[in-house]
Amino acid sequence: MARHIVGRVSEILPGTSKIVDANGRSIGVFNVDGRYYALLNRCPHQAAPLCQGAVKGMALPSKPGEYVWGREGEILRCPWHGWEFDITTGRSIFSPHRMRVRTYEVTVESTDVAEEERVETYPVTVEDGLVILHA
Amino acid sequence: MVQTETRPIQTQSSRVGIVDCDVHPTPRSIDEIKAYMPMPWRDRYTGGGRGFFSNPVHGSRLDSKPASGGPAGSDPELMREQLIDQFGVAYAMLLPRAFCNLHPDPDFGTAIAAAYNDWLADTWLSKYNHDGVFKGAITVAHQDPQAAAREIERWAGHPHFKSVMTDSGARAPFGQRQYYPIYEACEKYGLPLVIHPGTDGMGINVQPSPGYPTHYIEWHTCLSLNFQAHLVSFLTEGVFERFTGFKVALVEGGVSWLAPLLWRLDAEWKALRSEVPWVTKPPSAYLRDHVRVSSQPLERPDNDEHLLKVLEMMDAEHILMFASDYPHWDFDSPTHAFPTLPKEMRQRIFSANAREFYGLA
Repeated sequence: MARHIVGRVSEILPGTSKIVDANGRSIGVFNVDGRYYALLNRCPHQAAPLCQGAVKGMALPSKPGEYVWGREGEILRCPWHGWEFDITTGRSIFSPHRMRVRTYEVTVESTDVAEEERVETYPVTVEDGLVILHA
Repeated sequence: MVQTETRPIQTQSSRVGIVDCDVHPTPRSIDEIKAYMPMPWRDRYTGGGRGFFSNPVHGSRLDSKPASGGPAGSDPELMREQLIDQFGVAYAMLLPRAFCNLHPDPDFGTAIAAAYNDWLADTWLSKYNHDGVFKGAITVAHQDPQAAAREIERWAGHPHFKSVMTDSGARAPFGQRQYYPIYEACEKYGLPLVIHPGTDGMGINVQPSPGYPTHYIEWHTCLSLNFQAHLVSFLTEGVFERFTGFKVALVEGGVSWLAPLLWRLDAEWKALRSEVPWVTKPPSAYLRDHVRVSSQPLERPDNDEHLLKVLEMMDAEHILMFASDYPHWDFDSPTHAFPTLPKEMRQRIFSANAREFYGLA
């Protein structure tokens, strides 16, 4: 497992995401309400670029004829077939135990800690931490 | 037709790779179509698809929308990148979605079909087609079969129109005799008829379920019903006895229903043959000579063995042709849609069956 600098906190605000290359693997890093999650950018169904999909909520399981919208900002839909995945776990909505996408740990570190590995193109400010992907 | 090609188009030499039997090119805007329409149709045409039963999530792959603007399927370079080059497609069988079959005015439907054919010939089959990868289908409006036959005749002999296409949405099963001018022209010019879903239950066309279903998921699942009814009609009306050189491809109508439907029809025929005495052999025996089925959207049971058995039962090695449906939402990836197939079966489904059926090099 290697550390990959994804970007600065100010670059991936809540409700946004960034797709990065981690040693040849394309991985999407999502900010959901201030927490960061990382998913392999490859749908387990037919290998579509999953993380290019829309982030929305979902129609929660409900009684027939009822519509209950929830989990806004936590659900990623594959851009091809529209399968829904829980960004916070990588599990699919329709079959959470059998259909899931690989997830990775993400941490936020102060720029001081990460300074030695930062690349030239990331100017450091004290108040803006770095988002680190462990993949 | 207006000839605007700027580069010589490769027409003779064979191309290596798979054949994709269902690919959708789209005009950048309806103005591209209107440009080919005479008045009064140019003024009256507003484009438009089926109006409702739209996919509630998205209708096309989100990554297929060109960055430069325009709808999915409108940029030949992006299609080449995402389909032709990525998967090694030798020939993409282009099926434009004209939605001409829903109009009550047959002259309007015929004018839309003709404009789409002119547009396809001038763009995807010429300007965008320096290597000959794109092969087209002649769109016809089946509301007026005589006019449809004339439209087929207008394009017969074109090096890149390889079939005739119509929607599965119809007012009557396709085996009935009012459609025969279309089949006669197809047979005369050696062009198979491709049937594609699209205007089922729309405009003047009958919905193949009892009434209108509530949801897209129902409508889309039940598209297979129309294909089953059309196939039974072709077989029992004796269309393949009357037009012995006529061939039909059932595209995007489902796969796994074929074998059990034919078992049922063969069983009925043993008792009821005398009602349709021109059906001189078990109906299923007409399939290899006259009918092909395209794969997408391929049903995928949890157990791959079950699908492999279905493919064996339906004679997929000779009947089935691969299709992706690019750029639509239910795109089947050539590398992921199927389980591992026996080598010969895979080669035939992904290449040989379509090359033989469409007369491709």
